[in-house]
This record gives sequence, C-alpha cells and structure tokens, in this order.
Amino acid sequence: MKRLNPSLIAGGVIVTVIVLMALVSFVWTPYDATLVTPTSRLLKPSWEHWFGTDKFGRDVLSQIMVGSRTTLFVGVVAVGVAAVIGVPLGILAAMVRRWPSEVIMRANDLLLAFPALLLAIMFGAVFGASTLTAMVAIGIASVPSFARVIRSGALQVMRTEYVLAARAAGRQPFPIALRHVLPNVTSLITVQASVSFAIAVLAEAALSFLGYGTPPPTPSWGRMLQESQEFLFTAPRLAIFPGIAIAIAVLGFNLLGDGLRDRFDPKLEDRR
Amino acid sequence: MKPSFSTRAVAFLASAALLAVTACSAGSGTSSGSSPGGDQNLSIGLVAEPASLDFTTTDGAAIPQVLLGNVYETLVEQDDSGKIVPSLAKSWTVSPDRKTYTFDLVDNAKFTNDKQFTANDAVFSINRVKTAWTTSLKAAMDVVSQAKALSPTQLQVTLTKPSNDWLFRMTTRIGAMFSESGVSALATAPVGSGPFKFSKWNRGDSIVMVRNDSYWGAKPYFQQITLKYFKDATALNNALLTGTINVIGTVQAPEALSQFTSNDKYQVIEGTTNGEVLLSFNNSLPLFKDIRTRQGIRMAIDHKALLDTCWAGRGKLIGSMVPPTDPWYEDLTGVAPYDLAKAKSLLQASGAVGKTLRLRLPTLPYATSCGQVVKSQLEQAGLKVAIDQLEFPAAWLTTVFKNADYDMSIIAHVEPRDLGAVFNAKYYTRYDDPTLQGYLAAADSGDEAAQVDNMKKAARRLSEQAAGDWLFLLPNLMVADKSVKGLPTNAITENFDLSKLAR
Repeated sequence: MKRLNPSLIAGGVIVTVIVLMALVSFVWTPYDATLVTPTSRLLKPSWEHWFGTDKFGRDVLSQIMVGSRTTLFVGVVAVGVAAVIGVPLGILAAMVRRWPSEVIMRANDLLLAFPALLLAIMFGAVFGASTLTAMVAIGIASVPSFARVIRSGALQVMRTEYVLAARAAGRQPFPIALRHVLPNVTSLITVQASVSFAIAVLAEAALSFLGYGTPPPTPSWGRMLQESQEFLFTAPRLAIFPGIAIAIAVLGFNLLGDGLRDRFDPKLEDRR
Repeated sequence: MKPSFSTRAVAFLASAALLAVTACSAGSGTSSGSSPGGDQNLSIGLVAEPASLDFTTTDGAAIPQVLLGNVYETLVEQDDSGKIVPSLAKSWTVSPDRKTYTFDLVDNAKFTNDKQFTANDAVFSINRVKTAWTTSLKAAMDVVSQAKALSPTQLQVTLTKPSNDWLFRMTTRIGAMFSESGVSALATAPVGSGPFKFSKWNRGDSIVMVRNDSYWGAKPYFQQITLKYFKDATALNNALLTGTINVIGTVQAPEALSQFTSNDKYQVIEGTTNGEVLLSFNNSLPLFKDIRTRQGIRMAIDHKALLDTCWAGRGKLIGSMVPPTDPWYEDLTGVAPYDLAKAKSLLQASGAVGKTLRLRLPTLPYATSCGQVVKSQLEQAGLKVAIDQLEFPAAWLTTVFKNADYDMSIIAHVEPRDLGAVFNAKYYTRYDDPTLQGYLAAADSGDEAAQVDNMKKAARRLSEQAAGDWLFLLPNLMVADKSVKGLPTNAITENFDLSKLAR
C-alpha cells in the first residue's frame, strides 16, 4: 500500500478547509458580506468582528468566506476550460504524426509565449470585466501547459504493447484514445489540474486587484486587496487578511499537486 | 524528479513576496521634494483622460478641463467668485431690449498658427457651434440669430430673445474661439490663442502643454506642464509621494488624505466644486416614469451615511442640481429625507420591489465606491440592484450617455449651471418635464431677480419630482508640493487654469 506523503496531507487539509469554508458560506456567514453598515466602519478585530470591518462597514471574515467561493469557482471553471481543450489537443498531438502534430504543438507554443495576465486583461477590455471573463481567459492561457503534459504522457502510452496490439487488431484511433490513452493519463490530468488551480487562484486575485476581475460588490480576495490600498497606513489588516488567504490557498493547491504527483508516479514513490 | 522541500519553500516564499510587493507597492515611496523636469516644469495628476481633444464633437468634462482657458480662450470668463469678467473681449454693452451684445475685442491676440484673432474668428466660432458641433451643449447657441463683425475688433451678436444664460454659456466651452484655418484636426492638434500650446498626447498616460511665448496676455510661469492620468486613486497619491507629480488635481482617495495633512512637505486645498454626484435614472423607462419609484429610491438612501462611507465625509449634501456657489442655491436636502419605511411603501406601490435594476457605473473611484453603498441601501428597501462597471470614458459614454442603455448610473456633472442641460428629454436622463422647462425659460428671459426666483423653482421642482438623486457635491480636494502657488480653492468652472500656477 502506498504511503501518504506530507505534501498530500497538508495540501489536502488546506484545500478541504477552503472548500468547507466556501460551502458553509452558502448557508452561514457571521454577517451579510455585502451589507454596508456605515456605523461599523473600519472596526478593529474584536469578538464581534474577528477580522474587523472595511471602509463600508462590511465584516472582513464574512467577505473572506464568501470570497473563497469566487476563488474556487474561478479555479474550477478555468481548469475545466483548460482541461477540456488541452487534454484532447495533447492526445491528438501524440497520436497524429509529422506535420499535424507539429502544427498543434507550435500553435501551443505560440499561446504559451503570450503572457496569461495580458490575455486576461485583453479579454476584460473587450468583453467587460467580470468573473466569467477572467475565468475563461485564465483557462485559455492554461491550455498549453495541459496540452504539453498530456502529450508527453500520451506518447508513452502509445508505445505500450497493449496499444500496439490494439492498433494491430485494427482498432480505430478514437476508440484507442478513449479506451487506452485517456485512462492512463488521468493521473497527469489530476496533477496538472491541481497546479493550474493554484495559478488560476493567483491570476484571479491579480486581475481583481487590477480591476479586470470580479466586479464589486461580489467579494473577491483580490479586490479586497485592491480596496485596502487606501488604508495601508491606517488599517493594514485590510490587506493582510485577504493576502494571507490567497497565499494559503495557493500553497494548498501547490502542495496538493506535488503530493498527487508523488503518489501517482511510482518512480518517485520508490525513492522514498 | 521529486521536488525537494526547499523547492516548495521557495515557491511559497515567492508567492508570499509577490503578495507583499503587490500590497506594499501601493503605499511605498518617499517624497523627493524636487520638480519632475526642473523648476520651469510642473506635473499634475488627474483621473479622467479625455477620449478626444475635440469638445465640439465629443462629450466629457476632461477635454475642457485641459484645453479651455489654457489653449482656447473665450470672449468672457468667470473669475473665482463666479462673476463674468473680460477675456478676449475687453468690454461689452447690452442693448436696452437685452437682445444685442456688442463686444470690443483685444487687438493683439494671436492664434498659435500665427493668425491674428479678429471679430471674424469670433463670428466663425459662434456660427460653427450651430453648424458643426454635435454635442448636446450646442443647444445653448440656438438663441443667437446673428453674429456680425462690425470691425476687426468689434463684434455684434443678436439674440432671438433676451437670455440670461447665453453670456454665461460664453464662458464655457461653447464660447471657445477658434481660428478658421485651425479646425482641421481638433481631435489631435488643437489651435487656440491661449497661454499654452498643446504639445503632445501620450495616450493612456499624459498630455503635455508648453507655454505660448507669443501669448498676448500675462505669460504663465511654467514653461511646460504635464497632465498625467491615473486610473487608480492610490497610484495617484503615490505619484505625489514619490515625486512623479507635483500636484494631485483631484484627490480620489480621500481616506488616505491623512498621509499628506501630517506631512509639512505638502499643502492640502479643500474647497467646493460644481460636481454634483448624481444617481441618474433613465426616466424614459416605465418603472422610472412612476414618481413613486423615483421618490422611493431617494428616500431609501441615507445620504449622510453614504457621504461618510464612500467619500470620507468630504463634500456637501445638496438635495438638487445646484451648488452653493450659484446665486439660486437652496438647501433642498429636506425634500426627500432618509425614511426607509416610507421608501419601502413607495417602492411597493410602484411595483419596483423585487425587480432588478441595472446600476451601470463608470470606472471612476467615486462611482465604484458610492455604487456599492447605493446597492446595499436600495436592497434594504426591497429592490434588487445589479452593478455593471463600464470602462470610462469610452464604454460609459457609448452605453449610458449616448444610447441610454441603463436603469441607473452614477456620474459627477461638473459643468457649471448644468441643471437645464442635464434634465431634458434629449439628454441621457431622458427627463421630459414641461413645468421644469417653463421655469427654465422664464429664468432665462427674465431680469436678474426673475432668474434667481425661477431657477430656485426649477431646482425645487427637480428635487420634488425626484428626477434623479443628488448623492453629494464633490469637494475640490487638491494636494500639492508646498512650493506650488496659484491653485484654486474652488473649482467652479469647466477648466483647470494652468496659467495662474507658479512656484
């Protein structure tokens, strides 16, 4: 039986806590996260407001809880977009030969060379700043990394005896991809998804910070950072709490990705 | 290869450092105390960049803010107290029937294309408003029946009816004097007779003006003035702290003002403006044609709390479309006081409760900030509000201003005496009220006392009819290096007069 590694445990715990926080926020938060309460502006952390309140009198803890929904939502959709496009492209590039494969991978390189944040800002400028725009842009920017990783895995699978046997038996490429290649690159997809999730979380925070992500008043950790700028000298906690939330979330998904890679890769497991 | 613990630690530290840098960059910096570019140069930070340099075809207050009084001059202008005083016209007389104005013009003014300014240019400029301008403000020139050059330095303008408003409007952008041979590229190469020449426009960044050394009047102190545009309020503050600019033309992060008030390197100027921050309604929509919806929304908003929350309590509550610097100002904040219970019942009666209203906001700091308060307060009264941010100026001007594709919006109307211009059926507010138009017409044609009386009635009518909701009047908040002199306490005209600045 494979042993669990520390990265996997730590990452799993952090991600679970974030997911639970997001789920709980659907049914309960200490206060309404978007309710403006002028009489409670800029309160310091206390028993009533554990993380204090912002300039609108909104409870910071409630905003961080609801903001985790935005974070997870962006991550899921961005990774979904990247996987849905990147995985078939990677498998296709591995299965076809010569120039079609070259065309796919060079186009992939082209997209990889384009800065992800710039692409997202362009999307925001053209289609308007929104969570959806940010998610799709981040997803598209993550396609090349999925396609590259999956292609390398699929190339290995294509050289296995059972695939060669299937081809010799006259199986068509599509059934081979579906039945033999895809199940054998699932672990790669999982690891890549976890790492891309962390990147998406950071990208959404950056975009919201720049005003191209989640529009107000929907809570978003990145926008909380943006709105805290005015108060860096007077109420730095307004930047610290969402900053820590982003750092922990990114760390959690990175650790989970590392842990899953260790677990799925027998060579790494043997070196333990 | 298995990633080592140190690799993970580095990755974590890198992401933490990135966050720290992101957070700290907004607040870091020290004042250099020196002038960017030297003693003869000045750099001023502003927020809204013009969409074009042609205010004859493009709306927006950012264009006259830069060009009027600096590049273009008018026959008459307003002084700091709002009084109409000579500019390109040395003096003027008005006929007993108040329909004919005769202006004596200066004889030594010259455009930057080396053409002499004469009465023919004034005739050309006045007629051009009627024939070539496309903005809604051109309507103020409809009252002119004829403009005639009696001599190179004497201009006669005949009106179709007496108008108090016309001479005042001649102090605004429609009174700008153009050279007949200098209007071919207004959007990119303005030609005027003012104390500054347009030099360069780095789109998205800055506009550079240089002193017009052949200016006919008193020469400005600064040889070059750069107007730098910042979308982010904190970046604007930081630009002053780091010495990138010398003046914050309009503070957009009033909560952070303490970092300047407590530092003796800077001066903070606080006065008043013409900038009524209006929660505008699309009065052409059935829901907003019902006065109960409009009144309900006004009464659902706690204006004092809103001002405290979104603009640090700086500014003034006015209750209608008239700033205190206008002669017909009255405090109308009591017309629709905050009353949540009454607001709920009005909104219930009009059928607005439960409906989703689109609050389409320009990406301007005060609008973004106040929009969140408005949404929260209206939702407590039973409305649903969907905030939609539109890039300013381009997207907001097209969607809201031109196409009136909105339910509510928030924008500061900074044009002077703009009550009639903002609330009519053709403007984006789509407010069609014959009674209001009657008051405005009577104010325009009557004597001074009748003007004041009717304008008061018009302002009260607007407030009682809840044609919009006046959230507050923007303060004139400026911060500058202590050495900069000549900054205006009040900003009650369309332009930012750069010629009075010195060190």
